[in-house]
Amino acid sequence: MAQSAKPISSPVPDAWYPTLAVFMLAIGLVVTASFFIYEATSPRKYRSLAKELVTGTVASVFLGFGSLFLLLASGVYV
Amino acid sequence: MKTTMIRLYLLFSFFVLFAQWSPALSDLVISKVDRKIDLTSQVVRVTATLKVENPGNDPISEVLLPFGDHQAKDLAFLVATTSEGKGKTKTSSSSLPIKVVNPEGMPPSLTWYSVTLPKELAKGQSLNLEVRTAFTHALQPFPEKITQADIQLLVFQDSAYYLSPYAVNVQSLSVKLPEPKVESYTKLENTKFSGSEIKYGPYENLPPFSFSPIAVHFVSNKPFAVAQELVREIEISHWGNVQITEHYNLVNAGARSSGEFSRLEYQARPHLRGASSFRHLVAKLPARAHSIYYRDEIGNISTSNLWGDSSKTLLEIEPRYPMFGGWRTSFTIGYGLPLKDYLFRADGKRFLNISFGCPMDEVVVDNLIVKVILPEGSKDISVLVPFPVKESRETKFSHLDMIGRPVVVLEKTNAVPEHNQYFQVYYRFSNLSLLREPMMLISGFFFLFVACILYMHADLTISKSSPSYLAKLQWDEVQTALQQIQSIMNRCLGIHDKLEASLRDLSRTGDVQACKATRKSADNMLKELSKELKPLLSFLQSSTLAASLYSKVEDLVAKEKELQEKLIVKHTTVTDSYEKKSGGRDIENRIAPIQQRITALRQEVDDLLEIIDEI
Repeated sequence: MAQSAKPISSPVPDAWYPTLAVFMLAIGLVVTASFFIYEATSPRKYRSLAKELVTGTVASVFLGFGSLFLLLASGVYV
Repeated sequence: MKTTMIRLYLLFSFFVLFAQWSPALSDLVISKVDRKIDLTSQVVRVTATLKVENPGNDPISEVLLPFGDHQAKDLAFLVATTSEGKGKTKTSSSSLPIKVVNPEGMPPSLTWYSVTLPKELAKGQSLNLEVRTAFTHALQPFPEKITQADIQLLVFQDSAYYLSPYAVNVQSLSVKLPEPKVESYTKLENTKFSGSEIKYGPYENLPPFSFSPIAVHFVSNKPFAVAQELVREIEISHWGNVQITEHYNLVNAGARSSGEFSRLEYQARPHLRGASSFRHLVAKLPARAHSIYYRDEIGNISTSNLWGDSSKTLLEIEPRYPMFGGWRTSFTIGYGLPLKDYLFRADGKRFLNISFGCPMDEVVVDNLIVKVILPEGSKDISVLVPFPVKESRETKFSHLDMIGRPVVVLEKTNAVPEHNQYFQVYYRFSNLSLLREPMMLISGFFFLFVACILYMHADLTISKSSPSYLAKLQWDEVQTALQQIQSIMNRCLGIHDKLEASLRDLSRTGDVQACKATRKSADNMLKELSKELKPLLSFLQSSTLAASLYSKVEDLVAKEKELQEKLIVKHTTVTDSYEKKSGGRDIENRIAPIQQRITALRQEVDDLLEIIDEI
């Protein structure tokens, strides 16, 4: 083993996974809720596609990372 | 038993014959050999301390170690070191390179290993060499079948003389037994049996290839746990974990159990009625192992125990039944290890540094398969194992994979605890690849949202001309118009609020000009809003569906208009009064009736808006 070998650790400390999972999923679900409220309440003609896409993207980023950290926190190391 | 003896004698006579005509391989002479055979476990460990001398003129750089065929197939481990000094001050160097050779003119029934010496041995020099070997399946149970109450007897066969192509001056052999009980052993001259040790020798001045078979028949109740196959999966996750899963296919390879098994007798006197069986195994796991499990196909096996300290974690596992000779079981253990203890970065490459073999000290593995599952996107994979293994590649699909993870498969037969050495797997991996998994999750959710958007935007009606569909379309339009009217009304009310605010500002600062400017812009905006309102109102009027609603909307619009007018009157009155510098009380008196009406109207407008909102 070379002398210069440096240990590699995870990009985010393991201990943060549960907290991150809870907060990111919470934010993600709130944004998802706002997305569906917007879908259900605003009439078809006056719905803005950009707004829908932006809300969807934000929600999916939060839900995606949230579920990743949920998997990691529960021991499924992807 | 008898046949093996005959075979050994044949072999012996062959060696004698051979020794008579074979010329000495080199001038090397072994001046002293000390052999210790350890039979205390199922792995036969032989330590031979050689003192080699070079009496000839040519310098010598290699020492040959021959093994008979019956030994060579059981040979699991071979390491040679040079040692200097004596007794406690003895220091051992790192292991010397060993390779298989095929010297000419030698019988094919021998397998030859050649040890390369650290430096050439010149004339007259000598060197201490320590050769450690381990053999599996070298102990034969005899009798081959025993009952539950019997003790297990084993036979071990070897030569009393050190098998060597060189002349040996002085040699001795000691055989260590697990218990001081022996059924029989070959008695040669200078044989001594004391305690649990049998000593042969010293024998002096023996020619090359001297051979004298010995057999020791002794009592041993040591566990004969043999894993016929052990698959170790080492899965690296760059999110902070090395997951190890070990699938065992275990058998008790001792004397086979015959007759019936009495659980009652076993429970009552396990040391007498089941001495040859073993009940549990201890796996020595790294100190920071976590999420440890022990299960088989049925499910979790609850008979396990875990304890540990700062240097190790001990997992004691008990199979579902005591393991008698010939009985099999299969199970899986798994545990997670922190990534930073095993994964390192050096020279732009990453490497895993982890132990190779089975974590159980007593287990011999017939076929050990180590699979290192690298993260998806690893490249330039190379493996460094301190002993020869068979290497191949695979791809495995696991959580959230697209192209599969590269798997390094290392196969080793006859693995003993000595093979529990560290090995390295080098690979390149970009940190960006770490984002593959979250990206997959994100895109999954994103497609869900896109699907929702598409569904909401798509018109899935089959019959576009049916009356109900047309009515629905019309109703949608009415609703849209209503919503727009609502928003216009709300904006109007907002402008009203602005006007009121400007009046409040006026009373505070007395700035009539600013107030007038506000009024002007408010007027313009109100005018525009009423323009916008007109087509919507006419649409509602024309629509048959909105007939019942129209009166409410009309009412709302009328009320708002009145409110607007009153407010403008109020605004004009107040600004005029300010310009004429009238007293505060005077102004209040003048606008009091208007103010009352405004408040009432505002209330009514709000109520109407609420009603429309509910529609």
